[in-house]
Amino acid sequence: MLRAARHEYRDYSSLLEDYYERGWTDGLPVVPPTPESVELFLDRAGLEPDRVLGAVPTREVVVTAEHAAINAVMAGCRPEYFPTVVAAIRAHLHEMGNCHSTTGTLSGASQIVVVNGPVRGEIGVECRGACFGPGFRANATIGRALRLVIRNVCRAVPGVFDRASLSTPMRYAFCFGEDEEANDWLPLHVERGFSPQESTATVHSTMQVCEVMDYTSRTPEAICEGWLAEILRRGIFADRFVAQANILIVVSAEHQRYFNQAGWSKADLRNHLWQRCQASGENAKRIMLGGPEGFLVVGAGGPGHATTWLFFPHLAWAITQRIESANDERRT
Amino acid sequence: MTTKQDRGIVGLDPTSGPLERPTGRSLAVRPKTMDGQVIGLVTNGLGRSQEFMTALSEEIAQIIRPGGFLHVVKNSVSIAPERADWARLTSEASVAITGFGG
Repeated sequence: MLRAARHEYRDYSSLLEDYYERGWTDGLPVVPPTPESVELFLDRAGLEPDRVLGAVPTREVVVTAEHAAINAVMAGCRPEYFPTVVAAIRAHLHEMGNCHSTTGTLSGASQIVVVNGPVRGEIGVECRGACFGPGFRANATIGRALRLVIRNVCRAVPGVFDRASLSTPMRYAFCFGEDEEANDWLPLHVERGFSPQESTATVHSTMQVCEVMDYTSRTPEAICEGWLAEILRRGIFADRFVAQANILIVVSAEHQRYFNQAGWSKADLRNHLWQRCQASGENAKRIMLGGPEGFLVVGAGGPGHATTWLFFPHLAWAITQRIESANDERRT
Repeated sequence: MTTKQDRGIVGLDPTSGPLERPTGRSLAVRPKTMDGQVIGLVTNGLGRSQEFMTALSEEIAQIIRPGGFLHVVKNSVSIAPERADWARLTSEASVAITGFGG
């Protein structure tokens, strides 16, 4: 049985204006979260409304499946996207996801959702051309659903628990898939202990984003030098609680090509970066990754632009969560 | 005939509750004077936050006559003070100032 308060309106326009008035949107229009649509989402994921997905203890907030479904409907998700939204919320609310800090911070950190596994094809998560940008319903609405939960349920409202100085447009929605079929690299979720047949959502909170465009390098080592210049200049920080951070490196198709031609696996790439960081000298900024596994390497994007994006962490771990089927949810 | 549109639309509340302070709680009593009161100074340890708080305490001491200062540096930048820190603050300080650094 749904527990959320019900509000009646004469039409969609009235609902929308009231939701704006109450501060329940991210500034964009929302889809009305009717009881029928919310129940459909919950059924699709095999979740009871009161199933707890996680909590924000510092804000005395418990996030339930009902909260998640309401916000996923509002974000414009299709029902079949909802298990992915649930996985992203669970990842975000993992203790080491440090959600109070990553959503309250002055830095305006944003949450990136990386989708892996067969679900990408099943629901249409874009992994190739323009996958960071607009135009793809699954990418746009899964990312937005997580952010609406962060806002509406976890109270990261500007001026309340969102204390960002400038914030970032990446806080509207940021979700894409790894292009697992583009190369021989092990997908992110397989490297993190899941099987290729499983699907996952990985949430990485990022505070600084740096694009390294490089059209001239033709070897893995040379491409890495461009990345390392930025990594060593900026440093990668963790505090005592986080201890060991992650940096997400999204390698475009044009750069992937050179690593594949040279036979470099992701592990080779990580080890090279780690060794170069270790040898960077006493005057370099600190690289608090704990080891090579701190580099999360993902291939994505379409052909043509020789670029790699570096997503420096906020104070959190990147957490990968399995996307559960409805049957699995009902069994637990 | 009444159509579905005529019957209007029901929307669910997407929040975990109102943003206002939960009922049953109130602000701590404010002392009438700061003279003689122990002032807790809480920092996250980032940047020059400790220097800032020390300078602030010196400024405060020019204005009032506090009973002392209790400096608390959080164990970690990004998480709340630990239970022991809260216990020290609530048992030893009358008021507290929180700050950050960067």
